[in-house]
Amino acid sequence: MKVKFFAHYREYTGTKEIDVKNCKTVGELLKKLSEIYGEKLSKEFFDGEGLSSRVIVLVNGRNIVHLSNLNTPLKDEDEISLFPVVAGGL
Amino acid sequence: MFGWTGKIIRVNLTEGSIKVENLKIKDAYEYLGGRGLGVKILFDEVDPKVDPLSPENKLIFMTGPLTGTLAPCSGRYEVVAKAPLTGTVGGANSGGHFGPELKFAGYDGIIFEGKAEKPVYLWINDDKIELRSAKHLWGKNVFDTTDELLKETSEDARVACIGPGGEKMVLFATVMNDKHRAAGRSGMGAVMGSKNLKAVVVRGTGSIKVKDPNTFMNAVKEAYKKLKEQPVTSAGLTTYGTAILINILNQVGSLPTRNWRDGGYFEYAEEISGEALREKYLVKNKACFGCPIACGRVTRIPEGKFKGFGEGPEYEAAWALGADCGVRDLAAVTKANFICNELGIDPITMGATIACVMEMYEKGIISKEEIGFEAPFGSADALVELTRMAGLREGFGDKLALGSYRLAELYGYPELSMSVKKQEMPAYDGRGVQGMGLEYATSNRGGCHVRGYMTSVEVLGIPVKLDPLVTTDKAKWLKAFQDATAVVDSSNICLFTTFAIGVPDINAMMKGLVGWDYTDEDVLKIGERIWNLERLFNLNAGITKDDDTLPPRLLTEPLKVGPAKGKVVELDTMLKEYYEVRGWDEEGIPTEEKLKELGIE
Repeated sequence: MKVKFFAHYREYTGTKEIDVKNCKTVGELLKKLSEIYGEKLSKEFFDGEGLSSRVIVLVNGRNIVHLSNLNTPLKDEDEISLFPVVAGGL
Repeated sequence: MFGWTGKIIRVNLTEGSIKVENLKIKDAYEYLGGRGLGVKILFDEVDPKVDPLSPENKLIFMTGPLTGTLAPCSGRYEVVAKAPLTGTVGGANSGGHFGPELKFAGYDGIIFEGKAEKPVYLWINDDKIELRSAKHLWGKNVFDTTDELLKETSEDARVACIGPGGEKMVLFATVMNDKHRAAGRSGMGAVMGSKNLKAVVVRGTGSIKVKDPNTFMNAVKEAYKKLKEQPVTSAGLTTYGTAILINILNQVGSLPTRNWRDGGYFEYAEEISGEALREKYLVKNKACFGCPIACGRVTRIPEGKFKGFGEGPEYEAAWALGADCGVRDLAAVTKANFICNELGIDPITMGATIACVMEMYEKGIISKEEIGFEAPFGSADALVELTRMAGLREGFGDKLALGSYRLAELYGYPELSMSVKKQEMPAYDGRGVQGMGLEYATSNRGGCHVRGYMTSVEVLGIPVKLDPLVTTDKAKWLKAFQDATAVVDSSNICLFTTFAIGVPDINAMMKGLVGWDYTDEDVLKIGERIWNLERLFNLNAGITKDDDTLPPRLLTEPLKVGPAKGKVVELDTMLKEYYEVRGWDEEGIPTEEKLKELGIE
């Protein structure tokens, strides 16, 4: 699956997008990304075991809070976009 | 008085007379200032059926009680008149430093009446106020006009002026202050031009009185704390500016593309994004008066045919001049935005009007011969040249100056104008963000995103997370946002503060500033009163329920890609609910009970 990073997540990861395989849920994917990129990113994603309020996770353009949150299932052809909430504006 | 200065300048341009009047205290407590008080004056003094570009229309500059105080982001003022673009109640607000300076000079606002025989400008130097000839400035752009005026008045003064766009009454001309800040929408610059008023220059050395400094400062500190704790206001807007939204709206499939024809996904969005702007052309960020956010973008195109220096583009401009025209060249988009500021025209309506022309060009409705060159979607050269021609009303620009609705109507295709009440909708596709669709349909100044910003709850999840694809609860939230925004625009602080603070925080500051004992509900009621008075003005102007609608494209052509694929705006359901929540009848008219409840006679 394709994972896209936006705003300062690009600075944390040094990339705009990567391909990831074998993640069955959003929760698994975020854990995997945390392992790859370290604490700076995992702190953005998680509050304890739950999803933090600092990140917006879209699966094929749908915010996971309107799907099944961290349990949202993933397929290899999915596109996941990760935005920090700072990316708001008007 | 506290907060308010208590004085309003009235200038009759036909007679060349200037009077200083007392602010009506009752009106100030019921409508605050800025947009609310401006609309109240318009409602009381101007026939709603008047031609907006005739001397009978009035042009009102109004600050709010919080303008120029230590409240965060208090650099705002509002320009109000009947709008030439929409025929509705009009108005637009702007930041920078002009509003506070007017307060420091001792005035809450200025009412301009009539029409000057020859070009003039108003020079306010504390209590010395005079009309001066602007003959030597007529024809000059915004930046040259500002420089010239500072030279001949005071280097410490602040200038609000029009460019050639306003002089030539381009229907979407802006009033520009501090060079780059715009009272942007609905054509306030054209009203100023119709009055032969080139500029207002102000220098003020006074101060604003605070009733209870301790209470006020505690509330101010609390507001600053919240702004610092909220990531959008403390980091996001500061680092990336408003154009950070380009990528997120594109990813949710709601970035309108090629005159909204190709759905909500622009394949080159990354190239015109806030991230790209920061990487390529950002020189530094910039703040308005008393603002800790500093979202302003000072930008430079260092070389090439679009070489230039200025500010922006903001999100809406980057979208209108970029994705909506199918243009991926950020240098061209930035250059077109510079030209809009220089000539004093609204980049949202400009971009959307060019997008409409590009679609008509591709359909063979408008020819290359008529325009003077090829203008397909994606043409960076056409974008920049058409922007210049519109601001100067040169050649085909004379038609562009009418905005997309009147232009498309000339050719018999009004449905190709992506506008509501003849004002172009901005950068969120209502088919993918349903509440925004309702917002456009019901906004009192036509297609507009800043008077009930549903994107906050539907996309950003602030303060709650609503599903953008459903209609549930949208009417209720929209009403709450519209009323609260009217309070923000009338106490007059920047709307961007509302990512972090709300009506209770504004009320807390007002308690200390003016010493009132209003509850938060009382304050929200002020917002509702303003919204309803605007609605009454529009109804009296002949705008009806039939105008609370959207272009057919949004109601009948489903989005083709993305998460909202297959969706149109489900307007009928939401609109019915909206009228009910508002306490209006089925025709969208406020009921007697509602008006009584709000104290509107």
